[in-house]
Amino acid sequence: MELEASVHLHAVKLMGVSKRYGNVTAVEYIDLEVGKGEIVGLLGPNGSGKSTTIKMILGLVKPDTGSVNVLGINVKEDPIGVKRKIGYVPESPRIYEFLTGLEFLDFTGDVYGMAPDEKKKRIEEFVKALDLEGREGDMISSYSEGMKQKVVIISALMHKPQLLLLDEPLSGLDPKSARIVKDLLRELASQGVTTIMSTHVLEIAQAMCDRIAIMYNGRLLALGTMQELREKAMMPESRLEDIFLKLTGTGDVKPIVEALMK
Amino acid sequence: MNWKTVLRLISIDIKSSRLIRGTRLGSILENKVLTTVLYVGACICGAIVGWLIGNFYSGVPDPALKEAIFKGATSLFVTFPTLALIYGLVFTQMSQIQRIGVKVSIQPLYWYPITWGEHTLASIIANLIGAPLIITVFICSSILVASAFLGLIALAVCTVLALMGSLFTASITTEIVKVLQVRVSGAVTKVAGRTAVWVRLLGTIIFLIVFYLVYFTLVYGASFTALIESMAGGQRILWFIPYLWFGITLSAIVNGLNFEAVIFALTSIGFIYALFVAAVRLNAKFGLYEAPSITISRGTYTPKTGLLGKLGFSSLEAAIMRKDFKAFTRRRELMYIFIMPIVFILMPIVSSIRGTADTMPSIFSKFLFVYIALLPGTLMAVSIGSILTGSEGESIWYVHASPVSAKSYVKAKYFFTVFFSLAVTVICILFAAVWTAPSLRTVLIGFFEAFLLVLALSMVSLSFGIKGADFRELPRPRMIRPLWSLINMAICLALALAIISPMIPYAVKILFESIFLPIDLSTIISESYLYSALFLSAIIATIIFFTFYRITVKNAETLLSSAGG
Repeated sequence: MELEASVHLHAVKLMGVSKRYGNVTAVEYIDLEVGKGEIVGLLGPNGSGKSTTIKMILGLVKPDTGSVNVLGINVKEDPIGVKRKIGYVPESPRIYEFLTGLEFLDFTGDVYGMAPDEKKKRIEEFVKALDLEGREGDMISSYSEGMKQKVVIISALMHKPQLLLLDEPLSGLDPKSARIVKDLLRELASQGVTTIMSTHVLEIAQAMCDRIAIMYNGRLLALGTMQELREKAMMPESRLEDIFLKLTGTGDVKPIVEALMK
Repeated sequence: MNWKTVLRLISIDIKSSRLIRGTRLGSILENKVLTTVLYVGACICGAIVGWLIGNFYSGVPDPALKEAIFKGATSLFVTFPTLALIYGLVFTQMSQIQRIGVKVSIQPLYWYPITWGEHTLASIIANLIGAPLIITVFICSSILVASAFLGLIALAVCTVLALMGSLFTASITTEIVKVLQVRVSGAVTKVAGRTAVWVRLLGTIIFLIVFYLVYFTLVYGASFTALIESMAGGQRILWFIPYLWFGITLSAIVNGLNFEAVIFALTSIGFIYALFVAAVRLNAKFGLYEAPSITISRGTYTPKTGLLGKLGFSSLEAAIMRKDFKAFTRRRELMYIFIMPIVFILMPIVSSIRGTADTMPSIFSKFLFVYIALLPGTLMAVSIGSILTGSEGESIWYVHASPVSAKSYVKAKYFFTVFFSLAVTVICILFAAVWTAPSLRTVLIGFFEAFLLVLALSMVSLSFGIKGADFRELPRPRMIRPLWSLINMAICLALALAIISPMIPYAVKILFESIFLPIDLSTIISESYLYSALFLSAIIATIIFFTFYRITVKNAETLLSSAGG
């Protein structure tokens, strides 16, 4: 009973989750709780397990151990029910290039069972907001990477999900669109929508996230607000970049640069 | 022109073939020792063939026959450059089509300080490496060795040079066609606007029809010796076509027209140079040309309710089916699926072009009807079902992330396959009915059996298509792993035979009646047997359908729950 109540309080609850690919440990016994309406940033070097963690929350990857609960649903037991409530932006997404932007969004609306009027309203609003007007009827094959990213972001947001899983969501976006997305995520958070995003841009994480999780070699090294991370790293007044480099043990880059300059 | 750069580009092009052929064969082709063995082997084989021909010629006692062989050999020598041009064009075009994806994947080369001349030359030579060059080495060594016995060494050396020149001309032409194709299709797209999708689809279909008509006409309509004879005599008449100048040069040498031979030899070299310059200039202008985007819709967006919803499909299932339909009409690599009914209809037409259905024997006409009624639609079902999941390509993440249940996925993909294949079946049956004029009963039986085959085999192939799906898109979309494709074909063949097996005794009866055998089978296989056979066919198809439905749903569950790393 107690466990169930705790699960309901959280949008996402990972308990003892790990995942191995052959000899490589992608994620090692992670415990993570994300509250409703919270924005949590997943930081870590390449191959630290961020994308695998996101995929396990979405149910795309089955964990070897532990359990994943999303909005009170066990992902293993009802993967479809979980997916209905999630908006997902993968890293470097490939979308159906033979469709137009509009057709892809219309397709997304149908996949999530949106009513035609609601679908039309949401598509038109997002297309206008993210400056896709005039190109929405063109085939996606002719879009730039940034335009494709915008289409994927719209497809993740248009069905009003309760949880957003975003893997490098702002990559390729122009400054105006990036600002719109950032403000939108904050606004959605105030309405109770939870966001878990992975990013390599530490300034974005520092500016947007309520809490930051730093991952390294599949382990969760630290989790907390900026202040909590500073305390853990014993680096008061430091920027996230310095804390991140210290915690992940990748701080001293000077010898590398010097070697390259020889 | 930096020759070192050209050689490096050629080696990169050869290495990139591992993306097409797979690592095992790729590593064999990259092995310098094995490659040398391959070319030396072709050379030795050619020499042996030449030696055998030469020995045969020397051993012929009859002077008249010897003279005839000598004349035949000189005719053959004269036609070799044009033959080399034809097979060179075929092979280099095929290689070019295969390498489109590879070219995209090695685009960084265009950022490096390499001139367009070096790029073009490397591409032209790389296209020749492999089958065209091996065949040419074989022919050249045969010619040279045989000519020693025939006393035609000078002509043989000229033939070898002309052959090489023709092959090079073919490859340059392929390079030019490749660039122009991109430019022309881009221009058509720009002009056609929203109708570009249909223009492209129809263009592809018309191209396939013309290609196969020419191919089948050549295969069924002309013999090789007739082709040689007509080429040997005909190319001098067509002197104004520069592609034939190498052949005309040889023809002039054979006829002792030395001045003419020199003129045509020089103009041939000039033609190669002009073609090469054109290829370089076209590459410089359009080599990195990006085709304009296709605008499908403008103005206010109105969501469509569509017919599929009324047929009982959920909005999700209907959306997947609509998306797949658009894929088949807009993706070039999927448009080739239309090749199947075209080939199956064209092949018998061209082979029986001399007669109409009236003059055809009754049994042949019936066989033709069954062939056209059953095969294209069934093969369409087997093909579409097997590639439909893999055709999602790298966009499969979207299916994984969407709230699609295994049953909905299977339903959408299955009915798409069935609708598409049944549409093809109906068109083919109508065509076959007009062409072969069968009885109404034969038409109905044909349709019923085709219907059963499509219904059952769509599910079978969908099952294997999900199990063996290959989502890689570079260098070209694979869609299904080769092993699973083979398994699918073999099992579908066996199950198709099982479905139609109850009809086989009835077909045998008709055959016996048609060829007037003195065996009366009507007492054993009565008319009522026909209806029992149809019923039995339906039962077998239903059992196959339901068995494979369970397997397909299971495969889909695995697919949807395991997106990998």
